[in-house]
Amino acid sequence: MQVAVIAGSISAGIRIAKEIEHIPGVDVSVVLCNVGMRSPLLRWSRELLLALGSLKWATFTAKLCSYVRRGRIFILRRPLEDPTSIQYLRSLQFDVGLHAANVIYREATISAFRMGILNAHIGILPKYRGRSVAQWSILQGDPTGVTVFFIDSGIDTGGRIVLREFIPSKGCNDVEALRNRLFSCADRLYRQALEALGRPEFQFERNNISAGKRYYVMSKMLTGVVNEILSN
Amino acid sequence: MDLGIALSRPVQLDCRQDILLEASLRRRAELRRSWKGFVSAKTLENLGSLAPEIESSLSEQNAVRDWRPVATFAWIHCDASFSDCLRLIALAANVEYRPVDVRPAGFSLEDLKKRSLADRLTALCARYRCPLNIGIPSESDVAEELLRQLMVLDRTTLGGGAECDVDMVLLKLNLVGIRAMITRDLRMLDALNYFYELPRRLWTSLRANPRLLVFWLCIYAQLLRTPDWQQCRLP
Repeated sequence: MQVAVIAGSISAGIRIAKEIEHIPGVDVSVVLCNVGMRSPLLRWSRELLLALGSLKWATFTAKLCSYVRRGRIFILRRPLEDPTSIQYLRSLQFDVGLHAANVIYREATISAFRMGILNAHIGILPKYRGRSVAQWSILQGDPTGVTVFFIDSGIDTGGRIVLREFIPSKGCNDVEALRNRLFSCADRLYRQALEALGRPEFQFERNNISAGKRYYVMSKMLTGVVNEILSN
Repeated sequence: MDLGIALSRPVQLDCRQDILLEASLRRRAELRRSWKGFVSAKTLENLGSLAPEIESSLSEQNAVRDWRPVATFAWIHCDASFSDCLRLIALAANVEYRPVDVRPAGFSLEDLKKRSLADRLTALCARYRCPLNIGIPSESDVAEELLRQLMVLDRTTLGGGAECDVDMVLLKLNLVGIRAMITRDLRMLDALNYFYELPRRLWTSLRANPRLLVFWLCIYAQLLRTPDWQQCRLP
């Protein structure tokens, strides 16, 4: 299975690639897209400096060099939805994309991947679609967790759920800690999702959007309420 | 219930309700103290005879009316105009309405999007001449679309300091607020929270329509005194 991590930063791309590279039958690449269309040299120099600062530079650099040497890093110079980028992605013939960039995908980009693009959504689908879903789950007394599913061009409406994991909020004293906990599980869940897809007996769960609602950015007032609930 | 679900339940339900109620009442007290900062003296002056009623509703312990029974009807009809109906709802006064069996033809959101901004406003005011109808179950798609527009498009436009159609934004805030009163959908209340929390400098443009602005604040004030948001749990 040819898998591409669609990343907005080198560090995110390499981190996820490292997590999934040992899955049997999976061949990993990293596609770097310039989300803000800033100067790549400036962005990536900053990232390398941050990696140096975090003292993980040796592992990071070694991994990066290994991917570069094997020709497994691809750089998109134009926006992801640009026809040139789509053409390029098609030519690379990936089976699955893993979402790790701050972008919204259009249909043409999604269909450039044979099976589609997976997203690790920090909410339980189908009930919680959209933004601030971890906070909304807490507010309404529902379980928190992550859902890995194949996206479509809507907001968390893609019909095929690969897996869901309930991740307790216990021990998280505020929204930031909760979000960090959920995001920190994404790499592992991508790995588990790819492993599941490789099993012959695997079946998707349907994302029945009529069983949920779309949520939006939460106000400061309700975020305060959620923080208080968590700290209790 | 599996262990994962059980462990992730953060606190008991009543505790969440208490925290939410306390936060709402704190915000209501803040609004009572600070609303004159949003609505300038000139804006109040422009309201004419309406000004004392608004002042009393926002500065004092405003009344709250339970509009939830409206949701049981197929449609309701009022003889009053849109503006009069909205005023009565905002001031928690009695709205003379009568249920009717047949609701107007479906409202195509696609058609609405194709119309000019002025036409959209007219169409919404005509359909919701009695604005309580936005809370009727059949209007759920329209309400969802209004909420989406507020929280995606208008939030970005207004938050970025760009010009927006003030009348339309305020109309949507009023309708979404009324929907929240009837359905107890917390997402709808939170849209009003979000716009209330916008930096004060962005409120200048909203003063262009003083009536819709103060009606929205009065509806918001009522929502903040609504005690039973716990019933908004989604199916």
